[in-house]
Amino acid sequence: MDKARDRADELAGGDKPQVGSVTEAAPPPDRSAKASREAETTMVMDQRAMARAIKRLAHEIRERNQGQALALIGIVRRGVALSQRLCELLKGMGFADVAVGALDISHYRDDDRRTDGDPRLLGRAIPFSLAGKTIVLVDDVLYTGRTVRAALQALAELGRPKCVQLAVLVDRGERELPIRADFVGRNVVAGEARRVYVRLAEIDGIDAVIVAPNS
Amino acid sequence: MARLAKYDLVSIDDLELEDIEQIFQLADHFSQSLKEGDTPRLAQGLIMATLFYEPSTRTRLSFEAAMHRLGGSVISSADMKTSSVAKGESLADTVRVVSAYADLIVLRHPHEGAAKVAAEYASSPVINAGDGSREHPTQTLCDLYILRSKKGDLKGLTVAICGDLRYGRTVHSLMYALARFGANILAVPNKGMEVPEHVLARLAVQRNYKFATVSIAELKSLASDLDALYLTPREPHQMALFTGEMAAGAARAVKSDPPVVDALYVTRLQRERLKDGHEVGSEYFHVDSRAIRGSRTQSAVIMHPLPRTDELAYELDSDPRAIYFEQAAVGVPVRMALIAWLIQLAAQGEAKPRRSPKAIAFSSRVHPMCANPTCITRSESAYLSPRFRFAPWGDRSALTLQCDYCEHEARFDYVGNSRSRRYYRFDETLYGYVRRWVEEGSLMVFRDPKQAEESGYEPYRRGPQREVMNAQEMRRALESLAEQIIADLSDLTGVTVVGILTRGAILALRLRDLIADKTGIVLPCAAVSVVGDEARIVPLEGKDGLAFDGRTIVLVDDVINSGWTVQRAMNALWNAGRPASVRLAVLIDRGHRALPIRPNYAGKNLPTAPTERVRVYLDSQEPVGKRKATERVVLYSMLESGASKGKHV
Repeated sequence: MDKARDRADELAGGDKPQVGSVTEAAPPPDRSAKASREAETTMVMDQRAMARAIKRLAHEIRERNQGQALALIGIVRRGVALSQRLCELLKGMGFADVAVGALDISHYRDDDRRTDGDPRLLGRAIPFSLAGKTIVLVDDVLYTGRTVRAALQALAELGRPKCVQLAVLVDRGERELPIRADFVGRNVVAGEARRVYVRLAEIDGIDAVIVAPNS
Repeated sequence: MARLAKYDLVSIDDLELEDIEQIFQLADHFSQSLKEGDTPRLAQGLIMATLFYEPSTRTRLSFEAAMHRLGGSVISSADMKTSSVAKGESLADTVRVVSAYADLIVLRHPHEGAAKVAAEYASSPVINAGDGSREHPTQTLCDLYILRSKKGDLKGLTVAICGDLRYGRTVHSLMYALARFGANILAVPNKGMEVPEHVLARLAVQRNYKFATVSIAELKSLASDLDALYLTPREPHQMALFTGEMAAGAARAVKSDPPVVDALYVTRLQRERLKDGHEVGSEYFHVDSRAIRGSRTQSAVIMHPLPRTDELAYELDSDPRAIYFEQAAVGVPVRMALIAWLIQLAAQGEAKPRRSPKAIAFSSRVHPMCANPTCITRSESAYLSPRFRFAPWGDRSALTLQCDYCEHEARFDYVGNSRSRRYYRFDETLYGYVRRWVEEGSLMVFRDPKQAEESGYEPYRRGPQREVMNAQEMRRALESLAEQIIADLSDLTGVTVVGILTRGAILALRLRDLIADKTGIVLPCAAVSVVGDEARIVPLEGKDGLAFDGRTIVLVDDVINSGWTVQRAMNALWNAGRPASVRLAVLIDRGHRALPIRPNYAGKNLPTAPTERVRVYLDSQEPVGKRKATERVVLYSMLESGASKGKHV
């Protein structure tokens, strides 16, 4: 239960269908039967679409936070790569005051552990004070909302930010907690039987968002 | 007979640099006399009590050895847990009683701030031998002493401190002290064990230290030069602390030309301070001879507070740079020197003044708690009231206070005056008033208006009120909430309703009743109390509602604003169990969210201005005579405080 599914998506990483082969072999979208659709592997975003989505996210973040002291905090692992890209884009747009940090909430995900209440033990690389800052939490996929809840707890423990906004590349809906994203790259309806894989060049050698059946 | 001055050593900051120098000279003297086997019997007739609420071999034995060498005697309670604590005696009572038996108390305690409490209640001087993860000043004296004897002047030295920089009590003391002597610190924390914020803040403000952040990528270049020093943790980040004059371009300097390390201080993993189930062992630092063969660490002495676990290889013992056994050995002369210094102080006659910032005490029954769960004010709450002092750092948009005992920091956005029962949004112009209220003992602090209002405070000024919901509309809104919940949650048998105290809890019970009317299913209920940073579950009409594992929780509050209250309430739920899911129901959503939280069910969406307040009046909150007619929701604007707006005290 507690094995947050949104994280499991990215964790499954290595033994997943090979990204390269999937993109090449991806069949054209079949809109006939729901069943066959759910058995399918589709690429919902290619490199260009992703670049556009990230650029749009950066624009939206800039629009909303003009003149604020901004800090992007990526959730390990792909959220970190995304936050670094967003930071570059924001700086390119003349947004000077941007800091970047990383938060690893992997200790939260384990089932039986009762360490959840103690975010002091979490891994993080946030070498700046959160006090009074506008924080943009960055993750690849938003699903149940558990990861974000854990991240909020960790951030609250670290200091008192002015506010925390959430930016995700993919929102796949089906929330279990009252969490919503402020900035969404793409809404994807995957269904429970399928997973959303975000692949990033920095980590996986390719930029793509793929929806594939649970293996 | 000799006498000891009532001068407590709680923090290394209790000693001036001259004091430390005097103690070191005494230590030089005693090292010599120990070698010659002829120590002066300075403490003849004096009795030292060692009260150890936590096990420690080295510290206790070296204190006792020091006292014996000086001709004094020792009474000891090595394990306080089995004695008075088991009978429930408070720390204050214990040290008062022991003061009658002994001339000096050496205390080790698991809670931060314990030594300060003991110092206040004991009539004999108290030496802190470690209070929780806060300070261990005599260990620091030993560290500084050995470093000084190996390297000469401490100023300008670069000391790399690695490992557990969060829980390691010796480390914080050491950093403060090194900072005072003007040394540079290279902090190399293990993952998740970074230097706490309050330590950095103190170094920045008091010692004018600047932090040069070294990113993970840059660290690798440093690491390659320091060879395998940064080998074990997965991806450490670190902060280098530089003295003010060295700060300019420091990050670049570290990147292109990593500093030569004069000393490598390896800390022990404070396993006893970690919560169960947290595994770090495999990732923790391991320093062996390979780790220090690089050119940067050529002349670095290797220090460790001992006892070591796995972080320090045994093969290093024969390396001439390994000085940790010497470091342990100086424990005796340094502690002898400290005792002798206290005797000297008493002989000088006049009481040594203590530098301590003025503390703020909250007189009212309702007062802020220190948010640190291991603060001594939490465990000895029967007689200690939390005490704070102004923290001279942080931005000035909120009132920043620091626990006077454990130094944990807390920010408050709202301040109140307990005489006028008014509260104000804090801004810088209020500082003057706040200081005056401290003098009068009438200051109150709040996290948010909600907390202020629940404590019976009214806003300082408000504009005209506008009713946005009358009693009938409120009933209809609750009906609608109940219907939304029933329609949305197909299986009501797995649902628990949890209200946020106090209005949310009242509404939760009403929703429960409405749902029971419509479906015949009576849902279990609980409440969550959110006070400041603390949130905890409290029972509401029986204990049925307290099992959260696998349940769908409907969290209920009257008004949602920033979302922080909801966030803390969720923390409390997670500490208490593993809910399958959480839905949020609010009577009023007024916007202005500061967190990515959205209610699933809202009775009314009410657009408001940031300065406006939404106040829900509920029967059971009102005086009996006013009931029934007054149930309503009103909106009013809260005028900003500010000295320019006239006399309002």
